[in-house]
Amino acid sequence: MARLRRHDSRIDLLQGTLDLLILQTLQWGPQHGYGISQAIRLHSSEVLQVDTGSLYPAMHRLERQGLIRAEWKVSENNQRVRVYQLTAAGRKQLVAARSRWTQLSDAIAGVLNRTGESET
Amino acid sequence: MKLPLWRRRQDEELDEELAGHLRMAIADRIARGESPDEAARAARLEFGNLGLARESTREAWGWIGIEQFAQDIRYAWRTLRRTPGFTLVAVITLALGIGANTAMFSVINAVLLRPLPFPAPDALVTVANVDLRPGPARSISMSLSYPDFFDFRSKSHTFDHLSAYRDSSFTLVTSAGSVHVVGAVVSSEIFSTLGTTPAIGRGFRPEDERAGSDVAVISDSLWRSQFAAAPDIAGRTITLDSRPYTIVGVMPPGFQFPIKFPLAQIWVTLAADARVEKADDVPMTTQRGAHFLKAIGRLRASTTLASAQADVDVIQAALGREFPNDNAQRGVRITPHLDALVGDARGSLLVLLAAVGCVLLIACVNLANLLLARGAGRGAEIAMRKALGASPRRIVRQLLTESVLLAAIGTACGLALAYGSIAALVRWSPVEVRGLDQVALDSTVLAFTAAIAIVSALTFGLAPALRAVRADAAPGAQAATRATAGRAERRLRGLLVVAETAIGVVLLVGAGLLLRSFDRLVRTPAGFDPDRIVTATFLLPDTRYSYAKQIAFYDSLVADLRAIPGVEAAAATVPLPLSGSNYTISFEQEGGAGGANRESADFALAGAGFFRAMHIPLVRGRDLTPADDDRAPRVVVVNEAFARRYFPGIDPIGKRLKLGVSTTEPETPWREIVGVVGDVRNRSFREPVRPAYFIPYAQGLISPLRLVVRARNTTVVGEEIRKLVAGRDPDVAVYDVKTMEEFLATSVATPRFQAVLLALFALVGLMLTAVGLYGVLAYGVAQRTREFGIRLALGATPGGVRRLVMRGGLALVVAGLAAGVVAAAFATELLAGTLYGVDRLDPVTFAGVAVMLLLVAMLASYLPARRATRVDPIRALRCE
Repeated sequence: MARLRRHDSRIDLLQGTLDLLILQTLQWGPQHGYGISQAIRLHSSEVLQVDTGSLYPAMHRLERQGLIRAEWKVSENNQRVRVYQLTAAGRKQLVAARSRWTQLSDAIAGVLNRTGESET
Repeated sequence: MKLPLWRRRQDEELDEELAGHLRMAIADRIARGESPDEAARAARLEFGNLGLARESTREAWGWIGIEQFAQDIRYAWRTLRRTPGFTLVAVITLALGIGANTAMFSVINAVLLRPLPFPAPDALVTVANVDLRPGPARSISMSLSYPDFFDFRSKSHTFDHLSAYRDSSFTLVTSAGSVHVVGAVVSSEIFSTLGTTPAIGRGFRPEDERAGSDVAVISDSLWRSQFAAAPDIAGRTITLDSRPYTIVGVMPPGFQFPIKFPLAQIWVTLAADARVEKADDVPMTTQRGAHFLKAIGRLRASTTLASAQADVDVIQAALGREFPNDNAQRGVRITPHLDALVGDARGSLLVLLAAVGCVLLIACVNLANLLLARGAGRGAEIAMRKALGASPRRIVRQLLTESVLLAAIGTACGLALAYGSIAALVRWSPVEVRGLDQVALDSTVLAFTAAIAIVSALTFGLAPALRAVRADAAPGAQAATRATAGRAERRLRGLLVVAETAIGVVLLVGAGLLLRSFDRLVRTPAGFDPDRIVTATFLLPDTRYSYAKQIAFYDSLVADLRAIPGVEAAAATVPLPLSGSNYTISFEQEGGAGGANRESADFALAGAGFFRAMHIPLVRGRDLTPADDDRAPRVVVVNEAFARRYFPGIDPIGKRLKLGVSTTEPETPWREIVGVVGDVRNRSFREPVRPAYFIPYAQGLISPLRLVVRARNTTVVGEEIRKLVAGRDPDVAVYDVKTMEEFLATSVATPRFQAVLLALFALVGLMLTAVGLYGVLAYGVAQRTREFGIRLALGATPGGVRRLVMRGGLALVVAGLAAGVVAAAFATELLAGTLYGVDRLDPVTFAGVAVMLLLVAMLASYLPARRATRVDPIRALRCE
């Protein structure tokens, strides 16, 4: 699982969130595993650090589900790397997952804000 | 480990991918200015557990499951081989539990579950009369009379077919000699009812039931043994009981009806009972009082038992109004034919199944205990596997695989055990139960075995496996040299011992009660002396032997038998006590109730000298003598139960009775009671003695009679009888030569079978409980070696240490004993109907079980306790 790291307190992300992050990262273009983990780290301002023990199982699972596709390519410094890219099904899945995520975070935000009002 | 090529490539690619990840991470760090060493270390740290990443990614591939399973099995196999002692105990425990269950279930399957060997067997029902008068007789099925059956057959509308049958036997004379053949007299639609047609020729037609239509259908085995499987058998004439019969058909091989032993080989129609020999003969087929027929019906499609019952109830009610003498107190009852056949066997089989279930439960509890103890010793190994990247799920699976492998090996041994014991089980079991000849390890039994094996593996394996992963990895690794079971763990293992002791107590109490009840049963006086008595019988064909000639035949044969040196007494009777055959005939008391309110009592024919031959004491009046013949005044002898019941406080001698039916006389005469004899168990040892009365066979013969010969040397008597009979008529076959002891053994076969089996199961349960207790204590002592060392070093005496250990063990057993006694007090309710002469809360049994269990427990805890005293304090302390 990707974890939220702040003051050493680690919180497990919601189930399925990592899949969403991988799909979203690949929307910007084909990428290898290390690149995906770096992208997630960078775009979350270093808050989310993806555990490789979770990243690779997730990517291989997505590949089996046909949401992403992988092929071996030779990198600029002449080394073989496994590069992943979104499939059509993956793109569709990403749209659906994004809208679910938005709904969920809006709902949670609504609840949290309301609690905040009553406290003040 | 050998992997398929494509798998190995995929593995290599994963390794390459992960290595690439790490390489890129290091490169990035170096590019940011870290030193190569520092970068490599930091990247590795960030990357986390490489093994775990690889393992969990491989799991995502899906088909990994099977491969891991194979790997787990190999690993489990190695682990089990490393501890042969543990493995042996576990496998034997399981083999006993699963083997006993498999064997018992195979019997249940054959007797209770396997359908009757006819098409659509669920539609077959038994139609029987019941006595509506209040009393215990209400539950007993009674036979129908011929005219009543004809009415049911023609007036009912819920049956496709309704047919009747009665057991019979014949003397078949062939060129090779005369043989006795078991058969049945049936109504014409019997084969249509059963849904079977003859393989050769035809079945019966309605007109075959008319008197004089002498046709027969024979079994496949009779066709082969007596007629050399002649293809032109149909239409051939044979001689049955000196009467010509035409064979019209041969049933297919394997056809059985009625389903009882010995199997019928020949079937003739009700025409046999419709025969009129003399002008004033009243054939049985016209007597409302001749209740000899059993009836089997095939329900119409989508007819329920209830609607069929309502259907026959209406007919029976009409019969009661029209023929109150014979039917006013009779009801009719419909039961599924299978249930009617199985009868009481269902209850005893289910009790035995419950007992083997308990054995298996004890076996599982035992194994759980062993595995727990083992798991505690394997903390270091588990911690190591976790550190190397095994997920908790993977470890649980690994440990469960060990349990499954144990269960598999145990099941294989159990199946072998079951296979071997089924033959013994069947040989020992009372033969009259349906299906026992077909007990086998078929697919149903194997499915059952597989199911209990899996359930057992989960039962004994899950808790130890879960416990193993819950224990934290780090302390486990440190404590590798000194496995310490927590207080909770020790309590759990103690609880398991309490549980298995309790189950063992229930088993032992059940077995003890049945054994005591069996003991009471065989100690019950039969009312006669069965010692050195041989019995035999034969059929005299009524075509050649009138009743008078038959009586003369028996009289002279008995006289000749008495003249043989070594023969102490000889007589003829029917039915023989405890032979499984009983007659109940209604009678009228002079000045007493008549008509439908006539009483019924056990009835037997007896020749002069019968009571003396059987050592049945004459209590009052006189014995039957040769002078009580057909010309003499009609007499009757009653037993004491009869005198008590019908002549309370009155001398019955000189009082008069009249029988409800007669075989030889058109009008039944009044008979004078001339004697009272001692009570005899007629039906079984279990049932209280019923009122019974005897008449001389010369005054109303029912053939065949059975010879009763008491001789010094019983082995030659059968041959002597054969010689004497053959000398008079070579066409007559003597059969069923048996000693009285054999009849007695048969009559107690069912309770003996049940008691012996349950005792066997209880013994296995006790053994397993002892092994379990021993295992827990021995393990506890091994764990506390250091503690005992310190105690001994500080001055504890060996006796003190021994008491400490034994007290711990006995405390568990006493707790289990208490729980078991309470459980047994409820569980023995199951046996309430089976017990004879013993209360189900019999204090002797309960106390005996307690003593036995405590002795075994002391033995089981003495050995580990002794080991505790032998701990060398120096070595124990140096262990750290």
